[in-house]
This record gives sequence, structure tokens and C-alpha cells, in this order.
Amino acid sequence: MLRLFSTIRKDLLILFRDRSGIAIMFLMPMALIVIMSVIQDAPFRDYQEMKIPILLVNSDKGVLGKTIEDSLKKSKLFDVNDSVISETEAKQIVAKGDYKIGIIVSANASEELNKKVEQFVSKTFASAGIPDLTQTADTLYETTPEIILYFSTDIKKSFKNSVQSSIKQFSSKIETQTLLDYFKKEFKKQNNDADNFTDEFISINEKNVMDGDAENLQMNSVQHNVPAWTMFGMFFIVISLAGGIIKEREDGSYLRILTMPGNYFTIMIGKISAYLIICLTQCLLMLMVGIYFLPLLGLPELVIGTNIFAIATLAVCSGLAATGYGIMIGTVFNTHQQSSTFGAISVVILAALGGIWVPVYVMPETIRVLAESSPLYWGLNAFHDLFLRAGTVQTIFPYLLKLLLFFCLTIVTSFFFNKIKYT
Amino acid sequence: MHDHSAIEVNQLVKIYRGAGVPAVNNISFAIEKGFFFGLLGPNGAGKTTAISILCGLLKPTSGTIYIHGLSYKKNREEIKKMIGIVPQEIALYHTLTAFENLQYVGNMYGLKGVQLKQRIMECLTVFGLEQSKNKLIKTFSGGMKRRINLIAGILHHPQILFLDEPTVGIDVQSRSVISEHLQDMNKKGTTIIYTSHFMEEAQNLCSHIAIIDNGNIIANGEPANLISQHQSNNLENLFIKLTGRKLRD
Repeated sequence: MLRLFSTIRKDLLILFRDRSGIAIMFLMPMALIVIMSVIQDAPFRDYQEMKIPILLVNSDKGVLGKTIEDSLKKSKLFDVNDSVISETEAKQIVAKGDYKIGIIVSANASEELNKKVEQFVSKTFASAGIPDLTQTADTLYETTPEIILYFSTDIKKSFKNSVQSSIKQFSSKIETQTLLDYFKKEFKKQNNDADNFTDEFISINEKNVMDGDAENLQMNSVQHNVPAWTMFGMFFIVISLAGGIIKEREDGSYLRILTMPGNYFTIMIGKISAYLIICLTQCLLMLMVGIYFLPLLGLPELVIGTNIFAIATLAVCSGLAATGYGIMIGTVFNTHQQSSTFGAISVVILAALGGIWVPVYVMPETIRVLAESSPLYWGLNAFHDLFLRAGTVQTIFPYLLKLLLFFCLTIVTSFFFNKIKYT
Repeated sequence: MHDHSAIEVNQLVKIYRGAGVPAVNNISFAIEKGFFFGLLGPNGAGKTTAISILCGLLKPTSGTIYIHGLSYKKNREEIKKMIGIVPQEIALYHTLTAFENLQYVGNMYGLKGVQLKQRIMECLTVFGLEQSKNKLIKTFSGGMKRRINLIAGILHHPQILFLDEPTVGIDVQSRSVISEHLQDMNKKGTTIIYTSHFMEEAQNLCSHIAIIDNGNIIANGEPANLISQHQSNNLENLFIKLTGRKLRD
């Protein structure tokens, strides 16, 4: 135990005296968490909390224009500006990109809609052999009520689809309502009971998949970025760890260690323990940034749930995987330059595959398959399970197992490479 | 294996992976307890390979080694406790202080507490480094680094001490202190195995020498006897006579 504690103490002292190493291990991931959370806040809010600013030119004086205007204003999706009075002006503003969307409800749209509906109802009654009281079945209406949408050229396709879909929903509702009103009116004229007509035949209600405390949790920039960059930060210790191992080898201290009592595993356990302490400290600091610091910047507070034991277990397993990877790189490569280049690039690749920047579900099929082999993906998914889905050690167990197996694989590889180098 | 042998080497061969010729070619020799033994040879002769095998850092391709009658195969940990190593490199942590480095080394040999602190201070005082105990190694001069490198190898009172060119690149004062202390340790019973390119220093310090070239031992015995046998003036003259004047890589 004396050798183990002495090795841990020695490695921690060396680490804490390496200022650039400290910056890489602690400040860089913290800065990434803050910057990425702020940058990605808007895209994550997209259709959740953020209101889309739109220009509305309502030239219609009837119910159609009023209903669309009211629906847009009541909607949580849109921030309506109705100060512009002409279609031409609205088109110019959207073309310049000052507003992303312009909605024009044409003049007399309500009147035209009413006429169209009236004719449709008359035709329906006539075809059913019911006397046409309005006498409009044979009237020909040339014009169709029109809602024009202008989109800025730099708008995202998904954004455009979302707006189109919302407007379509509003207009369909009005169409249906108008139709129903006419049918009711006609039935009343025919002395039939029309009170059983209803506005909505299908009701759509969103319900949360989670029960209890996790009921209101939702993915946002903070919930994604804090665990994502915590995983990244933990794995970025490979540069410092591998560099330290290579330095020990280059300056001969590793040879001295090999001649001192204690076997390879005692030395490695000491090193692993020291870096595991660093990883756990990193994890704690990153989570604290998410809980206490990001809300000060106007971002949502990180919600970590109540299963602290599961979070600690995950942090230990992730830390072990990262440490094992660092030891493997430090053992396999011969120079500091090789190890730092490969270490940095490989961690960035594993991070990209693991969904640190872009969620894995939006990636192409082949990349999604590859992502499953990234330890950062396992760690990140396990964090999401704990934070967003009220997961437990049991639910994240497959990820914990994968992280531990990855750690074992890296240590066994290091052991064999070390044996090859020193025989 | 004789009871008085500190080290016994039999038919030792080391061929590195991919190398055509052996680095150490079937060498045999014995070093008795209390010897100050110089392993001398030009660059690439096989000295460092031989020392590395004796220290347990490299596995031989064939042959046997006994350290105080023990073999690395069966008694690695016991052997590690009884030997001390002073490598050619300054094998210390440059961002730790002299005291922290020695504390770590001492702990690895099972030394701790007051006993360890006393031993560290004793060694630092002998080598004139007590005032620098809390300074980082990276701030030390070349001579100071050599001295602390030596202390790290002798802190645990090894019975056998291996030194790989311990006085290279240092001033006369540091070299003198190191030589004196090594002689003192040897008088107290420590067996010393030493490599060097300083023939004069080796002649003064060593009770016995072996000259190795191309992986073979080409001379072995007391320096004075070897010098006289080969009708040389001194060890350097003998060395040139046996290994030639051809430059080595």
C-alpha cells in the first residue's frame, strides 16, 4: 500500500505542477461546456421555447384573416409583427433577411372562402337529393382564398416545413369550421337537428413518457453539453497521461521504477488511481458548472436527478476507460509528439462518433453503427439515461460493462506492448 | 554458485528482436562480494545490455544469472530489494523537489516515516545538497543532478550497486565527491558494478575490471595484473590495445 500511495502522490504532484496540463484537463473542458452550451442553446430551443419572428400582412377583414392572426399570436411558436401593411413591403423585408418569414392573407379571403364552402355544401346537398336552398350549386367561383408565405433564402428546410405545417393546420381548422357552420346552417333550414356536429373529431394530447420526478425533463443545450464535454474532458487526459508515461520512459525514471520493488501492475494501479482522481474531480467540477454557473448566463440549470450513486459509478467507469486509453497510447507510442497527435485526434474522432457535437440519431446509418463502438457514446448515453430518464445503475449497466471491458482491453494491450518493449 | 559470489553469469547471450548479431555473446564471469567491478568497453560493445540484464530490465536470450545465489526467474522481488541502480540518465522527476523524489524512491523500497527522512537528510548532507532539498530538480546544475541521481540509487543501502557512467558530464568537484563516496560504500561492503569511459577513474576506483567488445569479454581481472600482462602503461593504453583505435558508433 505504501508503494501504491506513494505512486499516486508522486503522479498527482507532477500533474499539479504542470500548468499547461492542468489547463488542458480542467479549464479547457469547462470553457467548452460554457461556450458550447451558449452556442447550442438556440438550436436546442428551436421548436421548444424559442419564438419565430414573423411578419403578418392581414389584408382580409373577415373571419379567416382574424382567425389566422389570432392563432398565430396565441401560438407559442411565433412572435407576430403586423405593423407592415403591404405584401410588397413584407416581401422586401424577408428578401433582405431582416425577417425570416412573411405571411400574407389576401384581401377578401374570408368572403371567397365562404362562397367556396357554400357552393360545396350546395353541391353536396344537391347530389344527395336534398333541395338546394342557397341555389349556388351551379354558380362558378373563379378565385380561391389565398395565404402567401415568403421565406428568407437562408432558412433551414426543417424550420420552413415546421412553419408551413403550422399555417396549414390553422387554415385547415378554419376550412373545417366554415364547412361545419354551413352544414349546420343548411340542416337547420331543413329542420334537422344539427347540434350534434362537433368541431374536433380527434383530440391530440402530448403526454410525458416519464413518471414522477423526471416528468418535466427535456433535452436542452445544458443537458446535452455538460455530460458530453465532461466525457470529452475525461478522455482528453490521454494527452497528459500518455505524455507523462513517455517522458518517464525517455528520462530513464521508468527504468528506475522497473528496478524497484513492486510489479508492473502496482505501478499501473498507482498511475490509474492518480488519473482516476483527476477524472472524478473533472466530472464533479463540470457538473457543478452545469448546476451553478450556466444558470448565471441565462441557460437552464443542469438537472442530474437523484441517483448520485449511479452517477458516481458511471464517472468511475468512464474515468477508468479514459485512463486505460491514455496508458495504452503512452505505452504503444514511442515519442511525445506521436502520442499527443494520435491521442488528440483519436479523442476528437471518438467524440464526433459518440455524439458529443451532433446527436447520433441525426447521423447517417453507417456512422450510427460506428458510434456504438465509441466509449464516449456509451458514457454520454448513460449520462442521458440518468439525467433525462431517471435511470439507475441497473438501466445503465450495459454501458458500464462496455466501459469496464474497454478499460480491461486497453490495460491488457499496454501490458503486452510493455512486455515486448522490455524483453 | 560460490557463497562468496555477488553475481555469477554463465553463458549469457542476448539477441535483440530483428538483430542479426548478438549484443552479448555467450559471456561468463563472476563478481565476488565486495568487489568494485568495472565493466568497460567502447560504444556499442554490449555494456549497457549486460548491465540491463544484470539489473533485471532485460531478459537474456539464453544463459543464467545469479545475484547472491538468487535468480530473477524465481526471486525477482528479493533481488530488486538488494540492488541499487544509478542509470546514465538523470532518472528523476524534474518537476518534483529533491526531497520529494527521494521520498518516492524510499517509499518504493519500503522506507517511511522518520527513518526515511533521516536517511534522506544524511545522504543530502554527504553530497552537499541539504540546502537544495526543497528545490525542483529542473533548477539543479548538472553536477547536482548527478549527485541526487546517485543518492536515489543508494538510499536503501543496497548490497549491490550498479552504476552506468555516473560521472559523465560533471565538474571535478562533483566527480571527486561521488568517487569518494563510492569508495567509502565499497569499503563498507557494498559490491559495485560500474561502467565508464574514464579509464583513469576506473583504474583508480576498480578492484577488478572486465573489458567487453562486440558482445564478448576480452579481458577480465585486476587492473594492475591486466596492465602488466599486456605490457601497457595504464588502463587507457591497455583498453586501446585490446579494442583498437577504430571509431565506434
